[in-house]
Amino acid sequence: MSDDLRGLNDLDRLIHEPARLLIVTILSAAASADFLFLQREAGLTKGNLSAHLSKLEEAGYVKIEKTFKGKLPLTVCKLTAKGQKAYTAYRQQMQMFMDKTG
Amino acid sequence: MKDETSQVEQRVKRYWYSDGIGELMGGGMFFLLAVYFSLQQYLGDRSLVGGMLQAGFILFLIGGVFVGRRVINIVKTRITYPRTGYVEYRTNNKNANLMRLLSFGVAMTVAMVSVFVVRRFDSIDAMVAVTGVLVAVIFTVKQGLTSGVGRFYFLSATSLVLGGLLSMSGFARGYNLGLFYGLMGIALAISGGLTLRRYLQENPMPTEAVNE
Repeated sequence: MSDDLRGLNDLDRLIHEPARLLIVTILSAAASADFLFLQREAGLTKGNLSAHLSKLEEAGYVKIEKTFKGKLPLTVCKLTAKGQKAYTAYRQQMQMFMDKTG
Repeated sequence: MKDETSQVEQRVKRYWYSDGIGELMGGGMFFLLAVYFSLQQYLGDRSLVGGMLQAGFILFLIGGVFVGRRVINIVKTRITYPRTGYVEYRTNNKNANLMRLLSFGVAMTVAMVSVFVVRRFDSIDAMVAVTGVLVAVIFTVKQGLTSGVGRFYFLSATSLVLGGLLSMSGFARGYNLGLFYGLMGIALAISGGLTLRRYLQENPMPTEAVNE
Protein backbone atom coordinates (compact mmCIF):
# COMPACT_ATOMS: atom_id res chain seq x y z
CA MET A 1 0.00 0.00 0.00
CA SER A 2 1.39 3.45 -0.86
CA ASP A 3 2.09 6.05 1.83
CA ASP A 4 -0.67 8.20 0.34
CA LEU A 5 -3.30 5.54 0.91
CA ARG A 6 -1.85 4.59 4.31
CA GLY A 7 -2.53 8.18 5.40
CA LEU A 8 -6.24 7.42 5.15
CA ASN A 9 -5.89 5.04 8.11
CA ASP A 10 -5.23 8.03 10.36
CA LEU A 11 -8.48 9.74 9.42
CA ASP A 12 -10.93 10.38 12.26
CA ARG A 13 -13.49 7.68 11.44
CA LEU A 14 -16.08 9.25 13.66
CA ILE A 15 -16.15 12.28 11.38
CA HIS A 16 -15.40 10.38 8.16
CA GLU A 17 -18.84 8.70 8.12
CA PRO A 18 -20.85 10.71 5.49
CA ALA A 19 -23.89 11.56 7.64
CA ARG A 20 -21.76 12.63 10.60
CA LEU A 21 -19.45 14.62 8.31
CA LEU A 22 -22.48 16.51 7.03
CA ILE A 23 -23.73 17.16 10.57
CA VAL A 24 -20.33 18.44 11.70
CA THR A 25 -19.96 20.60 8.56
CA ILE A 26 -23.37 22.19 9.17
CA LEU A 27 -22.54 22.82 12.82
CA SER A 28 -19.16 24.29 11.95
CA ALA A 29 -20.90 26.92 9.80
CA ALA A 30 -23.12 28.16 12.64
CA ALA A 31 -22.81 28.89 16.33
CA SER A 32 -25.52 26.29 16.94
CA ALA A 33 -28.46 24.62 15.20
CA ASP A 34 -31.50 22.74 16.41
CA PHE A 35 -32.51 19.14 15.77
CA LEU A 36 -35.14 20.06 13.16
CA PHE A 37 -32.73 22.13 11.09
CA LEU A 38 -30.09 19.39 11.19
CA GLN A 39 -32.65 16.77 10.25
CA ARG A 40 -33.84 18.74 7.22
CA GLU A 41 -30.40 19.83 6.03
CA ALA A 42 -28.81 16.41 6.46
CA GLY A 43 -31.87 14.59 5.09
CA LEU A 44 -31.88 12.06 7.94
CA THR A 45 -34.67 10.43 9.87
CA LYS A 46 -35.23 11.35 13.51
CA GLY A 47 -33.77 8.06 14.78
CA ASN A 48 -30.79 8.17 12.46
CA LEU A 49 -29.92 11.74 13.42
CA SER A 50 -30.31 10.92 17.12
CA ALA A 51 -27.92 7.97 16.79
CA HIS A 52 -25.27 10.01 14.98
CA LEU A 53 -25.58 12.92 17.40
CA SER A 54 -25.23 10.54 20.37
CA LYS A 55 -21.95 9.20 18.94
CA LEU A 56 -20.65 12.71 18.36
CA GLU A 57 -21.73 13.74 21.86
CA GLU A 58 -20.05 10.70 23.44
CA ALA A 59 -16.80 11.66 21.71
CA GLY A 60 -17.14 15.18 23.09
CA TYR A 61 -17.43 16.68 19.60
CA VAL A 62 -20.96 17.99 20.02
CA LYS A 63 -22.84 19.51 22.94
CA ILE A 64 -26.61 19.01 23.03
CA GLU A 65 -28.86 21.24 25.11
CA LYS A 66 -32.61 21.34 25.56
CA THR A 67 -33.79 24.93 25.71
CA PHE A 68 -36.69 27.25 24.88
CA LYS A 69 -36.96 30.06 22.38
CA GLY A 70 -40.00 31.91 23.67
CA LYS A 71 -42.47 29.05 24.17
CA LEU A 72 -40.86 26.88 21.50
CA PRO A 73 -38.92 23.87 22.84
CA LEU A 74 -35.61 23.39 21.05
CA THR A 75 -32.91 20.73 21.10
CA VAL A 76 -29.88 22.80 20.23
CA CYS A 77 -26.62 21.22 19.05
CA LYS A 78 -23.28 22.93 19.10
CA LEU A 79 -19.81 21.90 17.95
CA THR A 80 -17.41 21.90 20.93
CA ALA A 81 -13.83 23.19 20.75
CA LYS A 82 -12.69 19.54 20.59
CA GLY A 83 -15.13 18.87 17.75
CA GLN A 84 -14.02 21.97 15.85
CA LYS A 85 -10.38 20.92 16.23
CA ALA A 86 -11.13 17.40 15.03
CA TYR A 87 -13.09 18.70 12.04
CA THR A 88 -10.31 21.12 11.05
CA ALA A 89 -7.72 18.31 11.33
CA TYR A 90 -9.92 16.00 9.25
CA ARG A 91 -10.28 18.61 6.51
CA GLN A 92 -6.54 19.21 6.44
CA GLN A 93 -5.84 15.46 6.21
CA MET A 94 -8.34 15.03 3.39
CA GLN A 95 -6.97 18.04 1.53
CA MET A 96 -3.42 16.68 1.82
CA PHE A 97 -4.55 13.29 0.58
CA MET A 98 -6.35 14.83 -2.39
CA ASP A 99 -3.40 17.09 -3.25
CA LYS A 100 -1.06 14.09 -3.24
CA THR A 101 -3.30 11.83 -5.28
CA GLY A 102 -4.26 14.66 -7.66
CA MET B 1 -14.28 18.56 -0.93
CA LYS B 2 -13.57 22.23 -0.28
CA ASP B 3 -16.32 23.19 -2.75
CA GLU B 4 -18.87 20.87 -1.15
CA THR B 5 -18.00 22.18 2.31
CA SER B 6 -18.34 25.76 1.09
CA GLN B 7 -21.73 24.90 -0.41
CA VAL B 8 -22.98 23.53 2.90
CA GLU B 9 -21.63 26.57 4.74
CA GLN B 10 -23.29 28.97 2.29
CA ARG B 11 -26.57 27.05 2.54
CA VAL B 12 -26.50 27.58 6.30
CA LYS B 13 -25.86 31.31 5.78
CA ARG B 14 -28.61 31.54 3.15
CA TYR B 15 -31.11 30.01 5.57
CA TRP B 16 -31.45 33.37 7.37
CA TYR B 17 -32.90 34.87 4.17
CA SER B 18 -35.08 31.89 3.20
CA ASP B 19 -38.30 33.30 4.73
CA GLY B 20 -38.05 36.95 3.57
CA ILE B 21 -38.79 38.22 7.09
CA GLY B 22 -35.58 40.25 7.20
CA GLU B 23 -36.52 42.03 3.98
CA LEU B 24 -40.05 42.76 5.22
CA MET B 25 -38.55 44.29 8.35
CA GLY B 26 -36.02 46.20 6.21
CA GLY B 27 -38.92 47.47 4.10
CA GLY B 28 -40.62 48.71 7.28
CA MET B 29 -37.44 50.52 8.31
CA PHE B 30 -37.19 52.12 4.87
CA PHE B 31 -40.82 53.33 5.15
CA LEU B 32 -40.00 54.93 8.50
CA LEU B 33 -36.98 56.64 6.92
CA ALA B 34 -39.25 57.85 4.09
CA VAL B 35 -41.63 59.40 6.64
CA TYR B 36 -38.69 60.81 8.59
CA PHE B 37 -37.10 62.63 5.62
CA SER B 38 -40.43 63.84 4.20
CA LEU B 39 -41.49 65.19 7.61
CA GLN B 40 -38.16 66.90 8.08
CA GLN B 41 -38.49 68.58 4.69
CA TYR B 42 -42.08 69.59 5.43
CA LEU B 43 -41.34 71.01 8.89
CA GLY B 44 -37.98 72.60 8.02
CA ASP B 45 -34.81 72.79 10.14
CA ARG B 46 -35.93 75.85 12.08
CA SER B 47 -39.06 74.39 13.64
CA LEU B 48 -38.72 72.71 17.04
CA VAL B 49 -39.96 69.30 15.83
CA GLY B 50 -37.80 69.51 12.68
CA GLY B 51 -34.71 70.31 14.79
CA MET B 52 -35.51 67.46 17.16
CA LEU B 53 -35.93 65.08 14.24
CA GLN B 54 -32.55 66.10 12.84
CA ALA B 55 -30.81 65.75 16.21
CA GLY B 56 -32.38 62.37 16.88
CA PHE B 57 -31.42 60.75 13.59
CA ILE B 58 -28.62 58.55 14.99
CA LEU B 59 -30.83 57.45 17.90
CA PHE B 60 -33.60 56.70 15.42
CA LEU B 61 -31.25 54.54 13.34
CA ILE B 62 -29.70 52.64 16.28
CA GLY B 63 -33.09 52.15 17.93
CA GLY B 64 -34.58 51.01 14.62
CA VAL B 65 -31.87 48.39 14.07
CA PHE B 66 -32.19 47.16 17.68
CA VAL B 67 -36.00 46.95 17.63
CA GLY B 68 -35.96 45.50 14.09
CA ARG B 69 -33.63 42.70 15.16
CA ARG B 70 -35.86 41.87 18.13
CA VAL B 71 -39.00 41.85 15.99
CA ILE B 72 -37.32 39.60 13.38
CA ASN B 73 -36.42 37.14 16.14
CA ILE B 74 -39.96 37.13 17.54
CA VAL B 75 -41.52 36.60 14.09
CA LYS B 76 -38.99 33.88 13.17
CA THR B 77 -39.74 32.12 16.48
CA ARG B 78 -43.41 31.94 15.47
CA ILE B 79 -43.06 31.26 11.74
CA THR B 80 -39.65 29.88 10.77
CA TYR B 81 -38.16 27.92 13.66
CA PRO B 82 -41.15 25.57 14.18
CA ARG B 83 -41.26 24.86 10.42
CA THR B 84 -37.66 24.49 9.30
CA GLY B 85 -35.56 24.81 12.44
CA TYR B 86 -33.43 27.21 14.41
CA VAL B 87 -29.89 28.36 13.62
CA GLU B 88 -27.81 30.72 15.70
CA TYR B 89 -25.14 32.50 13.70
CA ARG B 90 -21.66 33.43 14.85
CA THR B 91 -21.51 37.17 15.30
CA ASN B 92 -17.89 37.88 16.10
CA ASN B 93 -15.76 35.65 13.95
CA LYS B 94 -12.80 37.20 12.13
CA ASN B 95 -14.27 36.74 8.64
CA ALA B 96 -17.51 38.50 9.54
CA ASN B 97 -15.63 41.45 11.01
CA LEU B 98 -13.35 41.60 7.99
CA MET B 99 -16.37 41.50 5.68
CA ARG B 100 -18.02 44.34 7.64
CA LEU B 101 -14.84 46.39 7.46
CA LEU B 102 -14.54 45.67 3.74
CA SER B 103 -18.20 46.61 3.13
CA PHE B 104 -17.72 49.85 5.06
CA GLY B 105 -14.52 50.65 3.15
CA VAL B 106 -16.09 49.94 -0.24
CA ALA B 107 -19.23 51.92 0.66
CA MET B 108 -17.22 54.95 1.81
CA THR B 109 -14.97 54.87 -1.26
CA VAL B 110 -17.95 54.59 -3.61
CA ALA B 111 -19.71 57.42 -1.73
CA MET B 112 -16.69 59.73 -1.96
CA VAL B 113 -16.17 59.02 -5.66
CA SER B 114 -19.90 59.50 -6.29
CA VAL B 115 -19.94 62.86 -4.45
CA PHE B 116 -16.94 63.99 -6.49
CA VAL B 117 -18.53 62.94 -9.77
CA VAL B 118 -22.07 64.10 -9.02
CA ARG B 119 -20.96 67.55 -7.79
CA ARG B 120 -19.82 68.35 -11.27
CA PHE B 121 -23.46 68.44 -12.38
CA ASP B 122 -25.50 71.25 -10.78
CA SER B 123 -28.89 69.86 -11.76
CA ILE B 124 -28.37 66.60 -9.86
CA ASP B 125 -29.35 65.94 -6.22
CA ALA B 126 -26.09 64.40 -5.03
CA MET B 127 -27.53 63.15 -1.73
CA VAL B 128 -30.12 60.80 -3.24
CA ALA B 129 -27.69 59.62 -5.95
CA VAL B 130 -25.06 58.75 -3.34
CA THR B 131 -27.69 57.10 -1.12
CA GLY B 132 -28.74 54.96 -4.10
CA VAL B 133 -25.14 53.89 -4.70
CA LEU B 134 -24.50 53.20 -0.98
CA VAL B 135 -27.64 51.10 -0.56
CA ALA B 136 -26.76 49.22 -3.77
CA VAL B 137 -23.23 48.49 -2.50
CA ILE B 138 -24.58 47.25 0.84
CA PHE B 139 -27.08 44.93 -0.91
CA THR B 140 -24.39 43.60 -3.24
CA VAL B 141 -21.45 43.22 -0.84
CA LYS B 142 -23.08 42.52 2.51
CA GLN B 143 -26.12 40.56 1.35
CA GLY B 144 -25.55 39.24 -2.17
CA LEU B 145 -21.92 38.16 -2.09
CA THR B 146 -21.92 36.75 1.45
CA SER B 147 -25.19 34.84 1.18
CA GLY B 148 -25.31 34.08 -2.54
CA VAL B 149 -29.01 35.04 -2.65
CA GLY B 150 -29.76 36.34 -6.15
CA ARG B 151 -32.67 38.67 -5.33
CA PHE B 152 -30.32 41.03 -3.46
CA TYR B 153 -28.66 41.89 -6.78
CA PHE B 154 -32.08 42.85 -8.12
CA LEU B 155 -32.66 45.08 -5.07
CA SER B 156 -29.19 46.52 -5.58
CA ALA B 157 -30.00 47.38 -9.21
CA THR B 158 -33.36 48.88 -8.13
CA SER B 159 -31.53 51.14 -5.67
CA LEU B 160 -29.10 52.32 -8.34
CA VAL B 161 -31.89 53.06 -10.84
CA LEU B 162 -34.07 54.85 -8.25
CA GLY B 163 -31.13 56.88 -6.94
CA GLY B 164 -30.17 57.87 -10.48
CA LEU B 165 -33.70 58.80 -11.60
CA LEU B 166 -34.66 60.69 -8.43
CA SER B 167 -31.40 62.65 -8.43
CA MET B 168 -32.66 64.33 -11.61
CA SER B 169 -36.29 64.76 -10.49
CA GLY B 170 -35.93 68.35 -9.28
CA PHE B 171 -37.84 67.68 -6.01
CA ALA B 172 -36.64 69.16 -2.72
CA ARG B 173 -33.90 67.01 -1.14
CA GLY B 174 -36.02 65.75 1.80
CA TYR B 175 -38.89 64.68 -0.47
CA ASN B 176 -36.40 63.09 -2.87
CA LEU B 177 -34.89 61.02 -0.06
CA GLY B 178 -38.37 60.26 1.26
CA LEU B 179 -39.41 59.03 -2.18
CA PHE B 180 -36.24 56.96 -2.54
CA TYR B 181 -36.71 55.20 0.81
CA GLY B 182 -40.45 54.84 0.25
CA LEU B 183 -39.98 53.16 -3.16
CA MET B 184 -37.13 51.00 -1.87
CA GLY B 185 -39.39 50.05 1.06
CA ILE B 186 -42.01 48.88 -1.46
CA ALA B 187 -39.36 46.91 -3.39
CA LEU B 188 -38.18 45.24 -0.18
CA ALA B 189 -41.74 44.53 0.93
CA ILE B 190 -42.57 42.92 -2.44
CA SER B 191 -39.35 40.87 -2.43
CA GLY B 192 -39.81 39.80 1.21
CA GLY B 193 -43.55 39.17 0.77
CA LEU B 194 -43.09 36.93 -2.26
CA THR B 195 -40.28 35.05 -0.52
CA LEU B 196 -42.38 34.56 2.61
CA ARG B 197 -45.36 33.35 0.55
CA ARG B 198 -43.21 30.78 -1.24
CA TYR B 199 -41.59 29.73 2.04
CA LEU B 200 -44.98 29.17 3.69
CA GLN B 201 -46.26 27.20 0.67
CA GLU B 202 -43.18 24.97 0.63
CA ASN B 203 -42.97 24.51 4.40
CA PRO B 204 -46.27 23.81 6.14
CA MET B 205 -46.28 23.66 9.94
CA PRO B 206 -45.24 20.13 11.03
CA THR B 207 -47.96 18.20 12.82
CA GLU B 208 -45.60 16.65 15.37
CA ALA B 209 -42.88 18.42 17.33
CA VAL B 210 -39.35 17.37 16.41
CA ASN B 211 -37.37 19.19 19.11
CA GLU B 212 -38.41 17.15 22.10
